[in-house]
Amino acid sequence: MSDLIYLDNNATTRVAPEVRDAMQPYLADLYGNPSSAHTFGRKMRQAVERAREQVADLLNAASPDEIVFTSCGSESDNWSLRGVLEAHPDKRHIITTRVEHEAVRYLCEKLERDGYEVTCLDVNEEGLLDLESLRAAIRPDTAVVSVMLANNETGVLFPVEEIGRIVREMSSAVFHVDGVQAVGKIPIDVRLLNVDLFAISGHKFHAPKGVGALYVRDGVQLSSFIIGGGQEKGRRAGTESVPYIVALGAACKLASNFDASQSIRALRDKLEDTILAAIPNSRLNGTSDRERRLPNTANISFEHVEGEAILAQLDEAGVCVSTGSACNAESHVSSAVLRAMNVPYSAAQGSIRFSLGRYNTAAEIDYTLKTLPGIINRLVEMSPYENKRGEDRNTA
Amino acid sequence: MPYYPARVNEHFLNPRNVGEVNQPDAVGQAGSLVCGAVMRLSLAIDEGLQRVTQARFRATGCGFLIASASVMTETITDLAISRAASLPETAFTDWFEELPENRAHCAALCRDALHAALANYHRATLNEWTGDEALICTCFGVSEKSIERAIHTESLRSVDGVTGANGAGGGCGSCRPLIEDILEDYWRTAALQPDSGIR
Repeated sequence: MSDLIYLDNNATTRVAPEVRDAMQPYLADLYGNPSSAHTFGRKMRQAVERAREQVADLLNAASPDEIVFTSCGSESDNWSLRGVLEAHPDKRHIITTRVEHEAVRYLCEKLERDGYEVTCLDVNEEGLLDLESLRAAIRPDTAVVSVMLANNETGVLFPVEEIGRIVREMSSAVFHVDGVQAVGKIPIDVRLLNVDLFAISGHKFHAPKGVGALYVRDGVQLSSFIIGGGQEKGRRAGTESVPYIVALGAACKLASNFDASQSIRALRDKLEDTILAAIPNSRLNGTSDRERRLPNTANISFEHVEGEAILAQLDEAGVCVSTGSACNAESHVSSAVLRAMNVPYSAAQGSIRFSLGRYNTAAEIDYTLKTLPGIINRLVEMSPYENKRGEDRNTA
Repeated sequence: MPYYPARVNEHFLNPRNVGEVNQPDAVGQAGSLVCGAVMRLSLAIDEGLQRVTQARFRATGCGFLIASASVMTETITDLAISRAASLPETAFTDWFEELPENRAHCAALCRDALHAALANYHRATLNEWTGDEALICTCFGVSEKSIERAIHTESLRSVDGVTGANGAGGGCGSCRPLIEDILEDYWRTAALQPDSGIR
């Protein structure tokens, strides 16, 4: 598997060797329960609390007490929204956006069916929000405003700091941010961002799958989701998953000392620029303003070809990517994110997400750039569409 | 481990007969509202033999569609058009051994394009139709007499049998009830005339 070129780091990431080393003892001799009173148990408690500090450091939380460990990003998101609604039963209104991750989008759809009122903010064709529409949507009974920091498909960044300021100025609503896709890729400062709740997921930045956390700003009222033995100061019951919590802490430490994001950015820029210049039917999804996008993500559509066919051919060539086109009869919908951005159907169908990570090399990007044009050309050649080579792209 | 089942993957990566027939005798297109796939099939047809001599396709879609289309072009080349018209939907995918249920519409799309092409071919020849017999299948230009003749000579008992013999009913399918009526009439009459020589 060493010749695998992994450009799908927004889906998940490799467990870093440093992280694996840190967690290993807790899969072996250090198996105690942090709630136990004996020395062995208290040693586990220490490990958990050290990890909590590491997470708090990465997010610049005011105190480690503001960090609660969970099982994943989706749990953190679900807990946030449901916990706020339960703590504020008089408030029945939710504000979110059309481009959220399913963990928020589908939950909001369910909450709407259950009788809550949901306002879904639109994005423009660059994937950006109109903050005036946010101002207009805020109501006295708005319980929670939930937005993502970085979009998982396009990498587009929402101006969370400004959104947080607006929410605070105009309402008493709780401000929840899905930070899953941003952590480890850009610096995070939850205090600067004016957030109340901030969800993170370990496996997106080199911890294993199965661990996440929620930042809960001191003073925010949040009902518990899992009731039981009083762990996490009664906020989230269940015996702490010590190895994974230790791993999450180690991954946060690794991310805090991470100075390679510039090299990832350089590789992404090269990949994106070369594809857009060399392949005539390609177009970027998401804003071209790179300051408003994650440094590792390039979502590019190849018009008049099917994303799954591109993915399968890249797969054959040993390159892992994602597509926004789900090609099957149960769920044939092109990506909701691209639809919200009004990406034309013939382009949304052929969207490919390249997401880079800290282990990608220049040689891997060169190989991808060498392989891709031939694949696209073969598929375009096969396409029955007129004007499929994008000659009229700029005249429409 | 290939992305698609091995046989699908082989045709997906090396599709046969991609392109357009030069000056085609028939062209058919089909699109899927299910998945957004589209395909275009062009055929060269030997008018005398009523046989497909060349088939080319273009498609935008998943590997299952591309592989099905590739297999289809191989299957119908050198086949009588009546045989091609009556091929079942599974003819192009049985060979794959593995076709997920949710991709059955890919194969259906291939057959739609084939039927569209054959219907267009017959529409073109219909313009030259001079017969005074009742025309039953307008897709493939088959008259009532031809259908009765086929039932008689081949002892056909089903609409599918008729379609296999001369293509009638294999296109849009709207004449299938008429063919059923013809079959019923024919066999009823035959039963009343035991010495008519019909088996």
